[in-house]
Amino acid sequence: MQALDLASAVEGVQPRPWPYYTVALRVSEHYRSVAPGQFVMVQAGTGIEPYLRRAFSVFDVSEDAAGLRVELLGKVIGRGTARLAASRAGDELPLLGPLGHGFEVSAAGSRPALVAGGVGSAALLLLARALHDRGARFDFYYGGRSALDLACGDRFQELAEGSGGRYVTTTEDGSAGETGLITAPLERSLERSRHDAVFTCGPHGLMRRVAELARAHGVAGQAALETAMGCGYGACLGCAVTRRGGGYALCCKNGPVFDLEAVEW
Amino acid sequence: MSRIEEREPATAAASGVDLSVRLGRLELANPVLTASGTFGYGLEFGHLAALPRLGGLVTKGLSLQPIAGNPPPRICETRGGMLNSIGLQNIGIEAFLHDVLPHLAEIDSRIIVNLFGTTIDEYARLAERVDREAGVAAVELNVSCPNVKQGGIHFGHDPRLLAELVTAVRATTDKPIAVKLSPNVTSPAELGHAAREGGADILSAINTVVGMAIDARTRRPLLNTIRGGLSGPAIKPIALRIVYDVARAAGLPVIGIGGIETVDDVVEFLLAGASAVQIGTALFRDPRTPERILDGLAERLVEEGVRSVSELIGGLRVEGEAAPPTGAPSERRP
Repeated sequence: MQALDLASAVEGVQPRPWPYYTVALRVSEHYRSVAPGQFVMVQAGTGIEPYLRRAFSVFDVSEDAAGLRVELLGKVIGRGTARLAASRAGDELPLLGPLGHGFEVSAAGSRPALVAGGVGSAALLLLARALHDRGARFDFYYGGRSALDLACGDRFQELAEGSGGRYVTTTEDGSAGETGLITAPLERSLERSRHDAVFTCGPHGLMRRVAELARAHGVAGQAALETAMGCGYGACLGCAVTRRGGGYALCCKNGPVFDLEAVEW
Repeated sequence: MSRIEEREPATAAASGVDLSVRLGRLELANPVLTASGTFGYGLEFGHLAALPRLGGLVTKGLSLQPIAGNPPPRICETRGGMLNSIGLQNIGIEAFLHDVLPHLAEIDSRIIVNLFGTTIDEYARLAERVDREAGVAAVELNVSCPNVKQGGIHFGHDPRLLAELVTAVRATTDKPIAVKLSPNVTSPAELGHAAREGGADILSAINTVVGMAIDARTRRPLLNTIRGGLSGPAIKPIALRIVYDVARAAGLPVIGIGGIETVDDVVEFLLAGASAVQIGTALFRDPRTPERILDGLAERLVEEGVRSVSELIGGLRVEGEAAPPTGAPSERRP
């Protein structure tokens, strides 16, 4: 499906909790077949700063009598993310998408692990939904600095437990779940051969560690990468990702989802 | 939801105004082109923008051999623009001619091939290679990429070397030659003059402005190469000044480049002396920027009672200063 630059209408912005938020957008039928892991380039505002659009994973897609709705999960970090969070119901936002190459759900094996760090979870909800709907039992590992960083945890918990799997959380400050990094419970599970595939999105260090663990335990996996992006559609060549074995891939076009073994971490 | 801007485009034909421009031997249906390195090789984004409406399309810079480019991070946004250090990543001239150019022939737009090498001989071989290609309307020589040592930048900084380079390219091709000037020199006009001495037909101004960005928290540079090329609205005043100087001094048609994204921007560059413009970074924000500008430009001409866009070229009103030359060669120097 080709990406198109279409208008979307803001339905509302919800704190999840602040500084995390979701933006609900009314979109065209074009978004009916979006793949888990795909993203959109959002133009929030017409001013000079931020000048470029910002990339957001398609967090969720739902439908009601009024048509299709796409939700984006964001965290207020800089001016771009703050601008989107300041959107109001009725605002029209240019939305370029869906973009990129998403997760290969068919590679999920029989007992996959989904591993999210903070707002990286935004790339994993549609995957969790797809796995749930095809009857795959999966565990969802969700790590953050504090309980605040486990945005929309209820949705992941419902899907993981609904699939017959577990919802596992860690925080560095101990305010929710096990104290420490999310890779600790993942490593224990891999040592017990609990998983035959792993999917991850989060800070680079987390994904690098997940790749190391997956390799050490002979488990295949995929990661949704995040880089700075100029255009999102392959024109600027700015979002280079170093391939294992040399050369570069474009995060926006060849990714954002890559095989864990394809990336030079 | 509907596509943004669904209204009927105010085509030049419908409004009775003439958008065509002439840059020496290069005739363009309108003065709006896409800049090198901002629209790939022209084929990839046909679903996002109407290519046949472009006055011209300048390809990503091409070299004799493919180049992988610089390590990440290659870009970062800055206030009113962005820094890039792509490193001249490209598929190489042969792959372009075999795999891309035949498809570009299908779109009704002038194709200008951007070329760069590490030696005068490489530039000459590249130009010779495209000289036979009917689908190529002109060549643009990149002598000003700030991001790689082998990007030909020394040619763009030394008038004698630049004249020598253009002379060598002139000997291998009859196609119009545009030379893309660096803003990172004391006198771009002097380099423009040297390009003309060598036989250039057109000057493109400007390439990116060398800059850098730092993360105050991590205390690290934001680009892998530390320095990069600044583009976007932030550089527009620099570009306007250089276009004004170069158009007056070098006596060649100029293509203005630098932070252009509105009809006003285009008109300002034409008034400063440009005969056409290239849209770059604005495409990343909105791939339909050229279409939007073309619709608005035709409307503007009608509104101002201007019948031909070429009437605007060099039309800056300056008290007590002669109007800049618009096309005829001039010996004036700054």
